[in-house]
Amino acid sequence: MNDLSARASMRHIDLDAIDQSIIDLLRTDGRMAYRAIARELDIAENTVRARVRRMEDSNTMRVVAVTDIEAAGYGMLLAIGVQVEGRSPEEVARELADIPEVFSVNVVVGSQDIEILVVARDQHDLSQLIGEQLCAITGVRRLTPALAVDVLKNQPDWVPFDAS
Amino acid sequence: MRRELDSTDIAIVERLSHDARVSNREIAEALGVTEGTVRARVKRMEEEKLIRITAVTNIDRFRDAALAYIWVEVERSGQTREVARTMATIPELGFVGVMLGRSDILAITMVRNAEHLAEFVHQRISAIAGVRGTQSTLGANFLKHDYRMARIVN
Repeated sequence: MNDLSARASMRHIDLDAIDQSIIDLLRTDGRMAYRAIARELDIAENTVRARVRRMEDSNTMRVVAVTDIEAAGYGMLLAIGVQVEGRSPEEVARELADIPEVFSVNVVVGSQDIEILVVARDQHDLSQLIGEQLCAITGVRRLTPALAVDVLKNQPDWVPFDAS
Repeated sequence: MRRELDSTDIAIVERLSHDARVSNREIAEALGVTEGTVRARVKRMEEEKLIRITAVTNIDRFRDAALAYIWVEVERSGQTREVARTMATIPELGFVGVMLGRSDILAITMVRNAEHLAEFVHQRISAIAGVRGTQSTLGANFLKHDYRMARIVN
C-alpha cells in the first residue's frame, strides 16, 4: 500500500441517504449498471459513479464476489473457542488470522479469549488444522470446537477489510 | 452437494472477489478467453448459487459496532431446526448454524454495545418458541472475516 492509499483508507466518510440507497441496490445485485442505479434513484449517472468511487476509495464499501463454501470445496465448518495463556489474545488472534482456513477471528471477553470460524475440506484436513496448526501457536492453551451440521445463513454484509 | 468450480470459474471468481465492478471484457482479456465465456460463466455460477456478487461494507467505518456471538439452547432437540429456520429470517443475523457441541445453535450479529445486545437477545431471540436459554459473547476486536467464505441460500 502506498502513502496516498494508506491515508485515504484512514479517512472516515459519512454516508448519506443516497449512499445508503446505492449500497442497498448493490447488495441485491453487485453488477447492476451505473445507468440502472441512476434511473432507480432518479439521480445522474455521474453522481452514482462518483459516489461509488468515493466509497471504494475510502475503504468504506467494496463490491465483491462471494463464493459458497461448499462450491469452494470445503465440506466442514466449525466455531472454535480459543483460551489463551501466557500471551496476549491480540497477538494470538493475529497469528490465527494468517491461516487461510481460519476465515473469521474475533477477540472476545468471557470464558473464551478468541472465537474463530474455520473451514476444512474433510475430517483429515480438519484433524491436521486443529492438531498441528492451531495447537502449535504459542499461547493457545485450549480449543473448544463445535461443528456446524447445517449452516442456514452465512452472509454478513459487514466485515473488517484487511489492509491489502 | 453443489458442484465444485473448475479452473476457469476459479480464475474468474478470483478477479471478481477483489473488485466485482470490473467489466467482462477486462476479465476476458486478462484470462485469454472470450467475453461471452466470462458472461456465461458468471451467469451460471450466480444461477446455481455458487457465487453471489454483492456490496460489503467495512465494519471499521461504523462507530460503536461490535460483533456478538449468541449461542442458543432449545427446549427439545427436535425443535432445533425449526428454531434455526426462524432465526435465519432475522435480517440482523449474519450467521445462523445448527451446531454439534457447545450449544444447539450459533448466531452472529453486529450490535452497538452490551445494552443493545441484551435488548436484541431478549426481544428477538428469547421470544422465539422453543428457545430454552441463550449465552452471548461480545467481541472486543473483530480482526478478520474473509467475505469470500459464505453460505449462499435462496
